[in-house]
Amino acid sequence: MDSYTFQLYSQMLKTFWRIFLIVIVVIAAVVLFPYVKEVLVMFIISGLLSVLLSPLVDFLESRGFKRGLAILLVMLLIFALLGLSFWMIIPRIIHSVEALIAKLQSGVISGLNQKVENFFDKYFHNPDFARNVVARLNLLGVQLLGSLEGLLKSVGSFLASVVIIPVVTFFLIKDARRFKKTFISRVPNQYFEFTLNIIHKTGTQVTKYIQGQAIDALIVGVLSIIGLFIINSYFHGPIPHFVLIGSLAGLANIIPYIGPIAGAIPALVLAILNNPPELGLVLLWIVILFIVVQAIDNALISPLVVSKSVNMHPLTVIVAVIVGGKIAGALGMLLAVPFTGVAKVIFSQVSWGLRSYRISAPSKPEEHTSLKTASK
Amino acid sequence: MENPIWSNGIFMKKRKKENIFTILKQVPIFSDLSDRELVEIEKILHKRKYKEGEPVIRKGDPGLGMYIIVKGSVDIIDKEKKASQKTLASLHDGSFFGDMALLDESPRSASAVATIDSEIIGFFRPDFLDLIYRKPKLGIKILLALAKVLGERLRRTNELLIQLQEEKETASNG
Repeated sequence: MDSYTFQLYSQMLKTFWRIFLIVIVVIAAVVLFPYVKEVLVMFIISGLLSVLLSPLVDFLESRGFKRGLAILLVMLLIFALLGLSFWMIIPRIIHSVEALIAKLQSGVISGLNQKVENFFDKYFHNPDFARNVVARLNLLGVQLLGSLEGLLKSVGSFLASVVIIPVVTFFLIKDARRFKKTFISRVPNQYFEFTLNIIHKTGTQVTKYIQGQAIDALIVGVLSIIGLFIINSYFHGPIPHFVLIGSLAGLANIIPYIGPIAGAIPALVLAILNNPPELGLVLLWIVILFIVVQAIDNALISPLVVSKSVNMHPLTVIVAVIVGGKIAGALGMLLAVPFTGVAKVIFSQVSWGLRSYRISAPSKPEEHTSLKTASK
Repeated sequence: MENPIWSNGIFMKKRKKENIFTILKQVPIFSDLSDRELVEIEKILHKRKYKEGEPVIRKGDPGLGMYIIVKGSVDIIDKEKKASQKTLASLHDGSFFGDMALLDESPRSASAVATIDSEIIGFFRPDFLDLIYRKPKLGIKILLALAKVLGERLRRTNELLIQLQEEKETASNG
Protein backbone atom coordinates (compact mmCIF):
# COMPACT_ATOMS: atom_id res chain seq x y z
CA MET A 1 0.00 0.00 0.00
CA ASP A 2 1.60 3.32 -1.09
CA SER A 3 1.41 6.38 1.13
CA TYR A 4 -1.35 8.09 -0.89
CA THR A 5 -3.64 5.00 -0.79
CA PHE A 6 -2.97 4.75 2.94
CA GLN A 7 -3.92 8.42 3.42
CA LEU A 8 -7.05 7.96 1.30
CA TYR A 9 -8.03 4.92 3.38
CA SER A 10 -7.56 6.79 6.66
CA GLN A 11 -9.52 9.73 5.22
CA MET A 12 -12.42 7.40 4.37
CA LEU A 13 -12.29 5.96 7.86
CA LYS A 14 -12.37 9.47 9.33
CA THR A 15 -15.37 10.41 7.12
CA PHE A 16 -17.18 7.25 8.25
CA TRP A 17 -16.62 8.11 11.92
CA ARG A 18 -17.77 11.69 11.31
CA ILE A 19 -21.03 10.51 9.65
CA PHE A 20 -21.52 7.96 12.44
CA LEU A 21 -21.04 10.71 15.06
CA ILE A 22 -23.50 13.02 13.27
CA VAL A 23 -26.12 10.23 13.16
CA ILE A 24 -25.62 9.57 16.90
CA VAL A 25 -25.91 13.30 17.68
CA VAL A 26 -29.10 13.63 15.59
CA ILE A 27 -30.68 10.56 17.27
CA ALA A 28 -29.66 11.86 20.72
CA ALA A 29 -31.09 15.30 19.88
CA VAL A 30 -34.43 13.78 18.80
CA VAL A 31 -34.62 11.53 21.89
CA LEU A 32 -33.55 14.24 24.35
CA PHE A 33 -35.51 17.10 22.77
CA PRO A 34 -38.71 16.74 24.87
CA TYR A 35 -36.61 16.82 28.08
CA VAL A 36 -34.45 19.80 27.15
CA LYS A 37 -37.13 21.78 25.29
CA GLU A 38 -37.72 24.28 28.10
CA VAL A 39 -34.00 24.82 28.71
CA LEU A 40 -33.51 25.25 24.97
CA VAL A 41 -36.29 27.85 24.80
CA MET A 42 -34.64 29.70 27.72
CA PHE A 43 -31.31 29.71 25.89
CA ILE A 44 -32.98 30.93 22.69
CA ILE A 45 -34.65 33.76 24.62
CA SER A 46 -31.32 34.62 26.30
CA GLY A 47 -29.64 34.58 22.88
CA LEU A 48 -32.28 36.90 21.44
CA LEU A 49 -31.98 39.23 24.45
CA SER A 50 -28.18 39.30 24.16
CA VAL A 51 -28.45 40.22 20.46
CA LEU A 52 -30.99 42.96 21.25
CA LEU A 53 -29.07 44.39 24.22
CA SER A 54 -25.55 44.22 22.75
CA PRO A 55 -25.76 47.53 20.81
CA LEU A 56 -26.71 49.39 24.02
CA VAL A 57 -23.88 47.72 25.92
CA ASP A 58 -21.39 48.51 23.13
CA PHE A 59 -22.60 52.13 23.13
CA LEU A 60 -22.03 52.47 26.89
CA GLU A 61 -18.63 50.80 26.52
CA SER A 62 -17.68 53.29 23.81
CA ARG A 63 -18.52 56.04 26.34
CA GLY A 64 -15.95 54.69 28.76
CA PHE A 65 -17.97 52.24 30.89
CA LYS A 66 -16.42 48.86 31.75
CA ARG A 67 -18.19 46.11 29.77
CA GLY A 68 -19.44 44.24 32.85
CA LEU A 69 -20.88 47.42 34.38
CA ALA A 70 -22.44 48.44 31.05
CA ILE A 71 -24.20 45.05 30.79
CA LEU A 72 -25.45 45.31 34.38
CA LEU A 73 -26.82 48.81 33.80
CA VAL A 74 -28.61 47.89 30.57
CA MET A 75 -30.02 44.69 32.04
CA LEU A 76 -31.21 46.43 35.18
CA LEU A 77 -33.03 49.00 33.05
CA ILE A 78 -34.59 46.43 30.72
CA PHE A 79 -35.61 44.01 33.46
CA ALA A 80 -37.05 46.83 35.57
CA LEU A 81 -39.20 47.85 32.59
CA LEU A 82 -40.13 44.24 31.80
CA GLY A 83 -40.84 43.45 35.46
CA LEU A 84 -43.04 46.51 35.80
CA SER A 85 -45.00 45.71 32.65
CA PHE A 86 -45.38 42.04 33.61
CA TRP A 87 -46.49 42.99 37.09
CA MET A 88 -48.99 45.53 35.82
CA ILE A 89 -50.20 44.14 32.52
CA ILE A 90 -49.81 40.35 32.27
CA PRO A 91 -52.21 39.40 35.12
CA ARG A 92 -54.85 41.69 33.62
CA ILE A 93 -54.33 40.26 30.16
CA ILE A 94 -54.60 36.67 31.46
CA HIS A 95 -57.75 37.69 33.30
CA SER A 96 -59.31 39.23 30.18
CA VAL A 97 -58.38 36.24 28.01
CA GLU A 98 -59.98 33.91 30.58
CA ALA A 99 -63.07 36.13 30.61
CA LEU A 100 -63.23 35.96 26.83
CA ILE A 101 -63.00 32.16 26.84
CA ALA A 102 -65.76 32.01 29.42
CA LYS A 103 -67.83 34.36 27.24
CA LEU A 104 -67.31 32.16 24.18
CA GLN A 105 -68.20 28.99 26.09
CA SER A 106 -71.16 30.36 28.07
CA GLY A 107 -73.32 30.97 25.02
CA VAL A 108 -73.44 34.76 25.39
CA ILE A 109 -72.82 34.85 21.69
CA SER A 110 -75.56 32.35 20.93
CA GLY A 111 -77.58 35.29 19.61
CA LEU A 112 -74.83 35.91 17.11
CA ASN A 113 -74.79 32.22 16.23
CA GLN A 114 -78.55 32.35 15.69
CA LYS A 115 -78.08 35.30 13.32
CA VAL A 116 -75.52 33.36 11.26
CA GLU A 117 -77.77 30.27 11.20
CA ASN A 118 -80.75 32.37 10.07
CA PHE A 119 -78.60 33.97 7.38
CA PHE A 120 -77.59 30.56 5.95
CA ASP A 121 -81.12 29.21 6.31
CA LYS A 122 -82.60 32.21 4.47
CA TYR A 123 -80.15 32.43 1.59
CA PHE A 124 -78.82 28.87 1.22
CA HIS A 125 -81.68 26.81 2.79
CA ASN A 126 -79.16 24.76 4.73
CA PRO A 127 -79.39 25.25 8.53
CA ASP A 128 -77.29 22.11 9.26
CA PHE A 129 -74.36 23.48 7.33
CA ALA A 130 -74.72 26.81 9.18
CA ARG A 131 -74.77 25.03 12.55
CA ASN A 132 -71.71 23.07 11.56
CA VAL A 133 -69.83 26.22 10.51
CA VAL A 134 -70.78 28.08 13.70
CA ALA A 135 -69.78 25.15 15.91
CA ARG A 136 -66.39 24.92 14.15
CA LEU A 137 -65.82 28.67 14.42
CA ASN A 138 -66.63 28.60 18.14
CA LEU A 139 -64.26 25.69 18.70
CA LEU A 140 -61.51 27.46 16.74
CA GLY A 141 -62.01 30.63 18.80
CA VAL A 142 -61.78 28.74 22.08
CA GLN A 143 -58.69 26.85 20.89
CA LEU A 144 -56.95 30.02 19.70
CA LEU A 145 -57.65 31.87 22.93
CA GLY A 146 -56.66 28.77 24.89
CA SER A 147 -53.26 28.67 23.22
CA LEU A 148 -52.88 32.43 23.81
CA GLU A 149 -53.64 31.89 27.48
CA GLY A 150 -51.11 29.05 27.53
CA LEU A 151 -48.51 31.31 25.94
CA LEU A 152 -49.13 34.09 28.46
CA LYS A 153 -49.00 31.65 31.35
CA SER A 154 -45.78 30.17 30.00
CA VAL A 155 -44.41 33.74 29.96
CA GLY A 156 -45.43 33.81 33.61
CA SER A 157 -43.53 30.57 34.25
CA PHE A 158 -40.47 32.22 32.68
CA LEU A 159 -40.82 34.85 35.36
CA ALA A 160 -40.37 32.05 37.88
CA SER A 161 -37.05 31.24 36.22
CA VAL A 162 -36.21 34.92 36.16
CA VAL A 163 -32.80 34.15 37.60
CA ILE A 164 -31.68 31.86 34.78
CA ILE A 165 -32.40 34.05 31.75
CA PRO A 166 -30.62 37.19 33.05
CA VAL A 167 -27.58 35.18 34.15
CA VAL A 168 -27.29 33.39 30.78
CA THR A 169 -27.89 36.68 28.93
CA PHE A 170 -25.21 38.44 31.04
CA PHE A 171 -22.56 35.85 30.19
CA LEU A 172 -23.62 35.64 26.55
CA ILE A 173 -23.04 39.39 26.15
CA LYS A 174 -19.94 39.56 28.32
CA ASP A 175 -18.09 36.52 27.04
CA ALA A 176 -19.40 36.11 23.47
CA ARG A 177 -16.00 37.15 22.09
CA ARG A 178 -14.17 34.74 24.39
CA PHE A 179 -16.50 31.85 23.41
CA LYS A 180 -15.90 32.68 19.74
CA LYS A 181 -12.13 32.89 20.25
CA THR A 182 -12.00 29.57 22.11
CA PHE A 183 -14.06 27.89 19.40
CA ILE A 184 -11.91 29.32 16.60
CA SER A 185 -8.68 28.32 18.36
CA ARG A 186 -9.75 24.68 17.90
CA VAL A 187 -10.32 25.00 14.16
CA PRO A 188 -7.52 23.53 11.97
CA ASN A 189 -5.31 26.09 10.20
CA GLN A 190 -6.70 25.10 6.80
CA TYR A 191 -10.22 26.24 7.73
CA PHE A 192 -9.28 28.99 10.22
CA GLU A 193 -9.80 32.14 8.10
CA PHE A 194 -12.87 30.62 6.45
CA THR A 195 -14.47 29.89 9.86
CA LEU A 196 -13.57 33.29 11.30
CA ASN A 197 -15.01 35.10 8.27
CA ILE A 198 -18.20 33.02 8.20
CA ILE A 199 -18.81 33.50 11.94
CA HIS A 200 -18.31 37.25 11.55
CA LYS A 201 -20.53 37.63 8.47
CA THR A 202 -23.25 35.34 9.81
CA GLY A 203 -23.16 37.07 13.21
CA THR A 204 -23.49 40.52 11.63
CA GLN A 205 -26.40 39.54 9.39
CA VAL A 206 -28.25 37.56 12.05
CA THR A 207 -27.86 40.44 14.52
CA LYS A 208 -29.16 42.94 11.94
CA TYR A 209 -32.07 40.63 11.09
CA ILE A 210 -33.14 40.05 14.71
CA GLN A 211 -32.75 43.73 15.66
CA GLY A 212 -34.64 44.75 12.50
CA GLN A 213 -37.49 42.34 13.26
CA ALA A 214 -37.72 43.61 16.85
CA ILE A 215 -37.80 47.28 15.77
CA ASP A 216 -40.35 46.46 13.05
CA ALA A 217 -42.60 44.60 15.51
CA LEU A 218 -42.30 47.46 18.01
CA ILE A 219 -43.26 50.14 15.46
CA VAL A 220 -46.15 48.09 14.00
CA GLY A 221 -47.36 47.37 17.55
CA VAL A 222 -47.27 51.05 18.56
CA LEU A 223 -48.99 52.16 15.32
CA SER A 224 -51.74 49.54 15.81
CA ILE A 225 -52.27 50.60 19.43
CA ILE A 226 -52.52 54.28 18.40
CA GLY A 227 -54.97 53.40 15.58
CA LEU A 228 -57.14 51.23 17.81
CA PHE A 229 -57.09 53.94 20.49
CA ILE A 230 -58.40 56.49 17.93
CA ILE A 231 -61.16 54.07 16.78
CA ASN A 232 -62.05 53.43 20.42
CA SER A 233 -62.22 57.15 21.20
CA TYR A 234 -64.39 57.88 18.14
CA PHE A 235 -66.85 54.99 18.55
CA HIS A 236 -66.91 54.99 22.40
CA GLY A 237 -64.76 51.95 23.12
CA PRO A 238 -65.93 49.07 20.90
CA ILE A 239 -62.55 47.26 21.16
CA PRO A 240 -61.60 46.29 24.73
CA HIS A 241 -57.96 45.46 25.60
CA PHE A 242 -56.71 47.39 22.58
CA VAL A 243 -53.16 47.56 24.02
CA LEU A 244 -53.03 43.74 24.07
CA ILE A 245 -54.53 43.54 20.55
CA GLY A 246 -52.03 46.10 19.20
CA SER A 247 -49.10 44.33 20.88
CA LEU A 248 -50.24 40.99 19.42
CA ALA A 249 -50.45 42.60 15.97
CA GLY A 250 -46.85 43.81 16.40
CA LEU A 251 -45.69 40.35 17.49
CA ALA A 252 -47.62 38.59 14.72
CA ASN A 253 -45.96 40.89 12.20
CA ILE A 254 -42.77 38.86 12.71
CA ILE A 255 -44.45 36.15 10.59
CA PRO A 256 -44.61 37.49 7.02
CA TYR A 257 -47.77 37.02 4.89
CA ILE A 258 -49.74 35.29 7.69
CA GLY A 259 -48.87 37.68 10.55
CA PRO A 260 -50.58 40.86 9.33
CA ILE A 261 -53.90 39.00 8.80
CA ALA A 262 -53.57 37.11 12.10
CA GLY A 263 -52.89 40.45 13.82
CA ALA A 264 -56.17 41.97 12.60
CA ILE A 265 -58.40 39.01 13.49
CA PRO A 266 -58.45 39.49 17.32
CA ALA A 267 -59.53 43.14 16.93
CA LEU A 268 -62.36 42.14 14.55
CA VAL A 269 -63.49 39.25 16.79
CA LEU A 270 -63.50 41.47 19.90
CA ALA A 271 -65.47 44.16 18.11
CA ILE A 272 -68.05 41.56 16.93
CA LEU A 273 -68.31 40.12 20.46
CA ASN A 274 -68.80 43.59 21.89
CA ASN A 275 -71.51 44.22 19.26
CA PRO A 276 -71.47 48.07 19.27
CA PRO A 277 -74.30 50.05 17.60
CA GLU A 278 -72.24 50.87 14.47
CA LEU A 279 -70.63 47.43 14.14
CA GLY A 280 -70.26 47.54 10.35
CA LEU A 281 -68.47 50.88 10.43
CA VAL A 282 -66.20 49.81 13.30
CA LEU A 283 -65.20 46.65 11.43
CA LEU A 284 -64.52 48.68 8.30
CA TRP A 285 -62.29 51.09 10.22
CA ILE A 286 -60.39 48.20 11.85
CA VAL A 287 -59.74 46.68 8.41
CA ILE A 288 -58.66 50.10 7.05
CA LEU A 289 -56.39 50.63 10.09
CA PHE A 290 -54.55 47.32 9.59
CA ILE A 291 -54.24 47.88 5.84
CA VAL A 292 -52.77 51.35 6.46
CA VAL A 293 -50.37 50.03 9.12
CA GLN A 294 -49.26 47.27 6.72
CA ALA A 295 -48.81 49.79 3.91
CA ILE A 296 -46.65 52.01 6.16
CA ASP A 297 -44.71 48.92 7.31
CA ASN A 298 -44.10 47.66 3.76
CA ALA A 299 -43.29 51.04 2.27
CA LEU A 300 -41.34 52.74 5.06
CA ILE A 301 -40.38 50.60 8.04
CA SER A 302 -39.43 47.17 6.62
CA PRO A 303 -37.14 48.48 3.85
CA LEU A 304 -35.24 50.52 6.43
CA VAL A 305 -34.90 48.13 9.33
CA VAL A 306 -35.33 44.54 8.11
CA SER A 307 -32.43 42.90 6.30
CA LYS A 308 -33.23 42.21 2.64
CA SER A 309 -31.01 39.12 2.56
CA VAL A 310 -33.62 37.16 4.50
CA ASN A 311 -36.50 37.38 2.02
CA MET A 312 -38.43 34.14 2.23
CA HIS A 313 -40.78 32.38 -0.15
CA PRO A 314 -44.40 32.26 1.17
CA LEU A 315 -44.31 28.46 1.07
CA THR A 316 -41.14 28.43 3.24
CA VAL A 317 -42.90 30.69 5.74
CA ILE A 318 -46.01 28.46 5.90
CA VAL A 319 -43.97 25.26 6.34
CA ALA A 320 -41.77 26.93 8.99
CA VAL A 321 -44.80 28.16 10.94
CA ILE A 322 -46.47 24.74 10.85
CA VAL A 323 -43.29 22.93 11.97
CA GLY A 324 -42.64 25.59 14.66
CA GLY A 325 -46.19 25.19 15.94
CA LYS A 326 -45.82 21.40 16.11
CA ILE A 327 -42.54 21.65 18.03
CA ALA A 328 -43.22 24.43 20.53
CA GLY A 329 -46.82 25.61 20.16
CA ALA A 330 -47.63 29.33 19.85
CA LEU A 331 -44.09 30.37 20.83
CA GLY A 332 -42.72 27.97 18.21
CA MET A 333 -44.93 29.55 15.54
CA LEU A 334 -43.62 32.98 16.48
CA LEU A 335 -39.96 31.92 16.58
CA ALA A 336 -40.16 29.71 13.45
CA VAL A 337 -39.67 32.49 10.90
CA PRO A 338 -36.71 34.21 12.65
CA PHE A 339 -35.19 30.77 13.17
CA THR A 340 -35.59 29.91 9.46
CA GLY A 341 -34.20 33.34 8.59
CA VAL A 342 -31.11 32.66 10.70
CA ALA A 343 -30.69 29.22 9.07
CA LYS A 344 -30.96 30.83 5.63
CA VAL A 345 -28.28 33.41 6.47
CA ILE A 346 -25.94 30.69 7.81
CA PHE A 347 -26.49 28.54 4.71
CA SER A 348 -25.88 31.38 2.24
CA GLN A 349 -22.77 32.57 4.09
CA VAL A 350 -21.28 29.07 4.33
CA SER A 351 -21.84 28.48 0.62
CA TRP A 352 -20.22 31.89 -0.11
CA GLY A 353 -17.25 30.91 2.06
CA LEU A 354 -16.84 27.51 0.42
CA ARG A 355 -16.73 29.16 -3.01
CA SER A 356 -14.45 32.08 -2.00
CA TYR A 357 -11.96 29.98 -0.03
CA ARG A 358 -12.06 27.17 -2.62
CA ILE A 359 -12.56 24.59 0.10
CA SER A 360 -12.90 21.04 -1.15
CA ALA A 361 -11.48 17.64 -0.24
CA PRO A 362 -8.07 17.60 1.52
CA SER A 363 -5.26 18.23 -0.94
CA LYS A 364 -2.96 15.46 -2.14
CA PRO A 365 0.40 15.24 -0.37
CA GLU A 366 2.34 16.37 -3.50
CA GLU A 367 0.91 19.88 -3.18
CA HIS A 368 2.35 20.32 0.31
CA THR A 369 5.66 18.95 -0.90
CA SER A 370 5.75 21.48 -3.70
CA LEU A 371 4.99 24.28 -1.26
CA LYS A 372 7.73 23.06 1.03
CA THR A 373 10.20 23.00 -1.83
CA ALA A 374 9.14 26.46 -2.92
CA SER A 375 9.50 27.91 0.53
CA LYS A 376 13.01 26.64 1.02
CA MET B 1 16.99 23.38 34.83
CA GLU B 2 13.81 25.46 34.82
CA ASN B 3 12.89 27.15 38.12
CA PRO B 4 9.66 25.46 39.37
CA ILE B 5 8.32 28.78 40.73
CA TRP B 6 8.72 30.58 37.42
CA SER B 7 7.50 27.69 35.36
CA ASN B 8 4.13 27.56 37.15
CA GLY B 9 0.99 28.52 35.21
CA ILE B 10 0.49 32.15 36.28
CA PHE B 11 4.12 33.25 35.83
CA MET B 12 4.45 31.41 32.53
CA LYS B 13 1.29 33.10 31.29
CA LYS B 14 2.62 36.51 32.38
CA ARG B 15 5.95 35.86 30.66
CA LYS B 16 4.20 34.77 27.44
CA LYS B 17 2.07 37.93 27.57
CA GLU B 18 5.18 40.11 28.02
CA ASN B 19 6.74 38.33 25.06
CA ILE B 20 3.70 39.09 22.91
CA PHE B 21 3.78 42.74 24.07
CA THR B 22 7.45 42.98 23.04
CA ILE B 23 6.58 41.58 19.61
CA LEU B 24 3.56 43.87 19.25
CA LYS B 25 5.67 46.95 20.08
CA GLN B 26 7.88 46.11 17.07
CA VAL B 27 4.86 46.35 14.74
CA PRO B 28 4.43 49.96 13.54
CA ILE B 29 0.63 50.01 13.95
CA PHE B 30 0.93 49.04 17.64
CA SER B 31 4.22 50.75 18.52
CA ASP B 32 2.59 53.89 20.00
CA LEU B 33 0.17 52.00 22.24
CA SER B 34 0.46 51.92 26.03
CA ASP B 35 0.64 48.62 27.95
CA ARG B 36 -2.99 49.09 28.98
CA GLU B 37 -4.03 49.48 25.36
CA LEU B 38 -1.94 46.47 24.36
CA VAL B 39 -3.90 44.40 26.89
CA GLU B 40 -7.07 45.28 24.95
CA ILE B 41 -5.36 44.31 21.68
CA GLU B 42 -4.09 41.06 23.16
CA LYS B 43 -7.69 40.08 23.97
CA ILE B 44 -8.67 40.07 20.29
CA LEU B 45 -5.56 38.45 18.84
CA HIS B 46 -5.61 34.86 17.61
CA LYS B 47 -2.53 32.76 18.38
CA ARG B 48 -1.82 30.02 15.84
CA LYS B 49 0.87 27.40 15.33
CA TYR B 50 1.96 26.38 11.82
CA LYS B 51 4.04 23.39 10.86
CA GLU B 52 6.91 23.59 8.38
CA GLY B 53 5.51 23.89 4.83
CA GLU B 54 1.99 24.74 5.99
CA PRO B 55 0.25 27.61 4.16
CA VAL B 56 -0.77 30.58 6.34
CA ILE B 57 -2.66 32.43 3.61
CA ARG B 58 -3.36 31.57 -0.01
CA LYS B 59 -3.27 33.93 -2.97
CA GLY B 60 -6.81 34.76 -4.13
CA ASP B 61 -8.55 34.06 -0.80
CA PRO B 62 -10.61 36.96 0.62
CA GLY B 63 -8.34 39.15 2.78
CA LEU B 64 -9.29 39.01 6.45
CA GLY B 65 -6.46 40.56 8.42
CA MET B 66 -2.77 40.70 9.24
CA TYR B 67 -0.34 38.18 10.75
CA ILE B 68 2.63 38.86 13.02
CA ILE B 69 5.40 36.27 13.39
CA VAL B 70 6.14 35.64 17.07
CA LYS B 71 8.61 32.83 16.45
CA GLY B 72 9.63 31.16 13.21
CA SER B 73 9.86 32.06 9.56
CA VAL B 74 7.42 32.64 6.71
CA ASP B 75 8.00 32.94 2.96
CA ILE B 76 5.76 35.19 0.90
CA ILE B 77 5.35 33.50 -2.44
CA ASP B 78 3.65 34.40 -5.68
CA LYS B 79 2.15 31.12 -6.74
CA GLU B 80 0.24 31.34 -10.02
CA LYS B 81 1.16 27.86 -11.21
CA LYS B 82 3.00 25.06 -9.45
CA ALA B 83 5.92 25.37 -11.84
CA SER B 84 6.37 29.14 -11.61
CA GLN B 85 6.59 29.85 -7.88
CA LYS B 86 8.51 32.95 -6.89
CA THR B 87 9.60 33.80 -3.35
CA LEU B 88 8.94 37.50 -2.84
CA ALA B 89 10.20 37.81 0.74
CA SER B 90 11.36 35.79 3.74
CA LEU B 91 10.02 37.06 7.04
CA HIS B 92 11.20 36.27 10.58
CA ASP B 93 10.38 36.99 14.26
CA GLY B 94 8.56 40.32 14.70
CA SER B 95 7.76 40.73 10.98
CA PHE B 96 4.20 41.19 9.81
CA PHE B 97 2.23 40.67 6.59
CA GLY B 98 -1.31 41.01 5.21
CA ASP B 99 -1.94 44.42 6.83
CA MET B 100 -3.82 45.72 3.75
CA ALA B 101 -6.58 43.20 4.55
CA LEU B 102 -7.38 45.20 7.69
CA LEU B 103 -9.03 47.75 5.40
CA ASP B 104 -10.93 45.68 2.84
CA GLU B 105 -11.76 42.17 1.68
CA SER B 106 -9.81 42.27 -1.62
CA PRO B 107 -8.27 38.89 -2.54
CA ARG B 108 -4.81 38.18 -1.12
CA SER B 109 -2.12 39.25 -3.58
CA ALA B 110 0.34 36.49 -2.56
CA SER B 111 0.52 33.30 -0.54
CA ALA B 112 2.42 32.87 2.74
CA VAL B 113 3.95 29.57 3.82
CA ALA B 114 5.69 28.70 7.09
CA THR B 115 9.24 27.56 6.28
CA ILE B 116 9.86 26.18 9.78
CA ASP B 117 7.49 25.38 12.67
CA SER B 118 6.18 28.85 13.57
CA GLU B 119 4.08 30.70 16.12
CA ILE B 120 2.04 33.43 14.50
CA ILE B 121 -0.56 35.85 15.83
CA GLY B 122 -3.42 37.13 13.72
CA PHE B 123 -5.17 40.50 13.99
CA PHE B 124 -8.36 40.49 11.93
CA ARG B 125 -10.65 43.06 10.38
CA PRO B 126 -13.93 41.96 12.09
CA ASP B 127 -12.27 42.27 15.53
CA PHE B 128 -10.62 45.55 14.50
CA LEU B 129 -13.97 47.05 13.33
CA ASP B 130 -15.58 45.89 16.57
CA LEU B 131 -12.75 47.52 18.53
CA ILE B 132 -13.21 50.81 16.64
CA TYR B 133 -16.90 50.77 17.65
CA ARG B 134 -16.33 49.80 21.29
CA LYS B 135 -13.08 51.71 21.99
CA PRO B 136 -13.06 54.55 19.45
CA LYS B 137 -9.96 56.28 20.89
CA LEU B 138 -7.85 53.13 20.65
CA GLY B 139 -9.33 52.23 17.27
CA ILE B 140 -8.49 55.64 15.80
CA LYS B 141 -4.93 55.41 17.14
CA ILE B 142 -4.41 52.11 15.29
CA LEU B 143 -6.20 53.38 12.18
CA LEU B 144 -3.93 56.44 12.07
CA ALA B 145 -0.82 54.29 12.48
CA LEU B 146 -2.08 51.99 9.71
CA ALA B 147 -2.67 55.01 7.45
CA LYS B 148 0.93 56.16 8.17
CA VAL B 149 2.32 52.74 7.21
CA LEU B 150 0.29 52.64 4.00
CA GLY B 151 1.16 56.27 3.21
CA GLU B 152 4.85 55.53 3.65
CA ARG B 153 4.51 52.50 1.37
CA LEU B 154 2.72 54.62 -1.27
CA ARG B 155 5.45 57.26 -1.09
CA ARG B 156 8.10 54.59 -1.63
CA THR B 157 6.12 53.10 -4.55
CA ASN B 158 5.87 56.58 -6.12
CA GLU B 159 9.63 57.07 -5.75
CA LEU B 160 10.27 53.69 -7.37
CA LEU B 161 7.86 54.52 -10.18
CA ILE B 162 9.60 57.86 -10.86
CA GLN B 163 12.97 56.13 -10.76
CA LEU B 164 11.74 53.49 -13.24
CA GLN B 165 10.33 56.16 -15.56
CA GLU B 166 13.64 58.07 -15.46
CA GLU B 167 15.55 54.88 -16.23
CA LYS B 168 13.19 54.15 -19.13
CA GLU B 169 13.60 57.67 -20.50
CA THR B 170 17.40 57.48 -20.18
CA ALA B 171 17.39 54.12 -21.96
CA SER B 172 15.20 55.41 -24.80
CA ASN B 173 17.34 58.62 -25.20
CA GLY B 174 20.65 56.84 -25.05
